[in-house]
Amino acid sequence: MNMIAIAAAIAIGLATIAPAIAQGITAGKALDGMAKQPEVAGEIRTAMILALAFMEALTIYGLLVAILLINKI
Amino acid sequence: MIKFLYSIGMTDAMITSSVITIVLSAVAIAGGRALKKNGDVKSSGGKLQTALEIAVEKLYNFFEGIMGEYACRKYFPLVATIFIYILCCNYSGLLPMAGHFPGLKPPTSSINFPMGIAVVVFFATQIIGIREAHGIRFFKHLFQPVAFIFPIMFAEQFVRPLSLTLRLYGNVYGEEAVISSFFDMVPLLLPIPMQVLSILMGAVQALVFSLLTAIYIGEAVEAGEHLRKDSHH
Repeated sequence: MNMIAIAAAIAIGLATIAPAIAQGITAGKALDGMAKQPEVAGEIRTAMILALAFMEALTIYGLLVAILLINKI
Repeated sequence: MIKFLYSIGMTDAMITSSVITIVLSAVAIAGGRALKKNGDVKSSGGKLQTALEIAVEKLYNFFEGIMGEYACRKYFPLVATIFIYILCCNYSGLLPMAGHFPGLKPPTSSINFPMGIAVVVFFATQIIGIREAHGIRFFKHLFQPVAFIFPIMFAEQFVRPLSLTLRLYGNVYGEEAVISSFFDMVPLLLPIPMQVLSILMGAVQALVFSLLTAIYIGEAVEAGEHLRKDSHH
């Protein structure tokens, strides 16, 4: 039972790290672009939200695995 | 009343989403009546009509930039309905006592609701593509640009609704779980920052879901048109 709890914690922990880094890079670059070209800020923002959503999905998969593991206890 | 609804097998999420559907329909019907009576000159309508006109116009301009003019004129109602409905459902979790009061629970935090909408989007994409291509030749787009890409394209069609479902469900469920465990730890003040975040999250998730729907539909329309023109040569 304890091992399952640790496994769930590791699953969500690892699934958070990579998307967090990727989202940071994406948002940073997008802000860079917006600052350089404020006239296309709207388009950049839409594309950024879309890209962030795809990365967010990876974390959600980790969350799902963690929930499934917790339900096993 | 609530007991009767439970006895015919309705869950909290179903009751909340039905109430939201009824309220949104009532607002839309009232707005439509006002529009018919006053015409579409902005200054002549009442407050409700003006507010609805501004909201629809903003949404239309936004989706027009993504889907293209032709697809947006034809399929804007579906996409905008999905956006408004999901937005209201996400925000229903901010009402006081949501999740504890019988019959009030954000529908998007149960997996059946996002999955239902995702299945609608899946079938809508295929049917719109077939309609735009004038027939079954729409599915040729799965073999383009090269034939051996087919397995990936085919699998992608089925992964799309799955990832749409999980993204919306996971985000809302996770947010609700975090808020409720914060509430268990310190009921005073601590959950407020999370709830502010969940205002932002609710809007972003509704936007992402309808944005992806718009992109899928725009893609299907484009592929359908392309294949239709090809067959005439």
